[in-house]
Amino acid sequence: MKSNAFVATALGAIALGLGAIGVADTKTITLPPDGVQLKASALPGYAKAQASCVVCHSAEYMLYQPPAAPRAYWDAMVQRMKVVFKAPIDDLDMPVIVDYLVKTYGNEQPK
Amino acid sequence: MTDSTNRLRRRLIAGGAGALASAGLTTLSRAALGQTATFELPFVNGKRNMVAYSEKRPLIVLTSRPPQLETPFEVFNDGLITPNDAFFVRYHNAGIPTSIDGDKHVIKIGGNALGKPFELTMADLRRQFKPVELLAVNQCSGNSRGFFSPRVTGGQLANGAMGNARWVGVPLKDVLARAELKNSARQVTFNGLDTALFGGGDFVKSLDVNHALDGEVMLAFSMNGTDIPMLNGYPVKLVVPGYYGTYWVKHLSEIEVIDQVYEGFWMKPAYRIPDNDCACIEPGTTPAATRPIGRFDVRSFITSVQDGARLRAGQQTVVRGIAFDGGQGIREVAYSTDGGQSWRGAKLGEDLGRYSFREFTFAFTPDSGNYDLRVRAWNRSGQSQPMDPLWQPAGYMRNVVERVVVSAV
Repeated sequence: MKSNAFVATALGAIALGLGAIGVADTKTITLPPDGVQLKASALPGYAKAQASCVVCHSAEYMLYQPPAAPRAYWDAMVQRMKVVFKAPIDDLDMPVIVDYLVKTYGNEQPK
Repeated sequence: MTDSTNRLRRRLIAGGAGALASAGLTTLSRAALGQTATFELPFVNGKRNMVAYSEKRPLIVLTSRPPQLETPFEVFNDGLITPNDAFFVRYHNAGIPTSIDGDKHVIKIGGNALGKPFELTMADLRRQFKPVELLAVNQCSGNSRGFFSPRVTGGQLANGAMGNARWVGVPLKDVLARAELKNSARQVTFNGLDTALFGGGDFVKSLDVNHALDGEVMLAFSMNGTDIPMLNGYPVKLVVPGYYGTYWVKHLSEIEVIDQVYEGFWMKPAYRIPDNDCACIEPGTTPAATRPIGRFDVRSFITSVQDGARLRAGQQTVVRGIAFDGGQGIREVAYSTDGGQSWRGAKLGEDLGRYSFREFTFAFTPDSGNYDLRVRAWNRSGQSQPMDPLWQPAGYMRNVVERVVVSAV
């Protein structure tokens, strides 16, 4: 889709301090920073997820899933991000990211 | 699901949203002060932040980016119209517009099944057509997903991804009358200014052409008497009365009439329901066939008392609530104070239209003890709500008879 509107940057979370809006008919908003960050982890997928996942969306997408979410769910989501949304994720990184997600947010979390 | 997780119990853990709002602090200054109000939704892993986005009061943050914001349930007891600053927000992709000229914004009308492609500016839309007005509920397909048992993945919402508003706009039928549809026209697709950041999965929805031309599907440019908030689709939003919010495309910018069934990601495989009468299957199984989600089912909620509330024994309480459906209109609401063993008719409030919330009330004078309050609505074609929840893998269309347990002392 072609859009001539300004879009939120991939990193979002910026207050541009636009101040006075020049044109009466133009509505302008600013967006607040992300409310949560990815959970830090020693797993190698943590850095990969920071590079590949939260570029596009905030970490509530992971954090708020039911803790029973199994590996198959996280695998399907990472596949979807690459196949449907064209997220630039290296094939070799995908299982590493899935492993971090299921062990951090899913049903393989340490008890 | 245990009773306790099935209840609407809300606790403001730190700070009060109202207090923050009345203090006039911006989101950023609140963040700088380290003051984040949180909110506990009544299911496992239900702790949420509350943040005031642009043009919004503090709402329950399902996701920060792109914004998905849930309305605190208390708002539904304030009136039958949901205020713009409390109305829920649901985006799918992170490339959302943050600045739009509300006069110059253009809607392109094209596709391979019309004779005359053309463009409309918002100024044209406002000036060249006769506007219509409609009160209609918008509800997210996944409203109440967090209550599913067994749990399903996706946006974990309580019951606040719905709202009722007064929409003013132009019937799509009138706009498409200028386009000279061909006999081959089969569906109409809708796209908005929001974009997927890497080019895949743009949010595009479709309706069958007969539905699109029913005279009710509307290009709305006003919400509750004023501009639509940016996060709800400024300057123009598709309103599809009685249909789930997934079809209510925001920042509408492209309409195409096409000669086939559109099968982009957000129509297939996303937003599909089991293709059977109940739109339900045995928990944990996979549907044999699916169809696109469509009209709302029947729902009703007590709004004036919350689960766990304490009432005065021997004193009459008027219990109030709301009911709605996919457009037949509500015919009857029944209530029970004994967990569904016996039922009586609640009193219906003014009929504001068949797509609107409908108020109901009933008087209740409890003796001391615990009461399991239930409400159940029927629409004009006799459809109602199940006593036990139905299940489907995507967690859409929850409409179980709700319960609110109160004690009287």
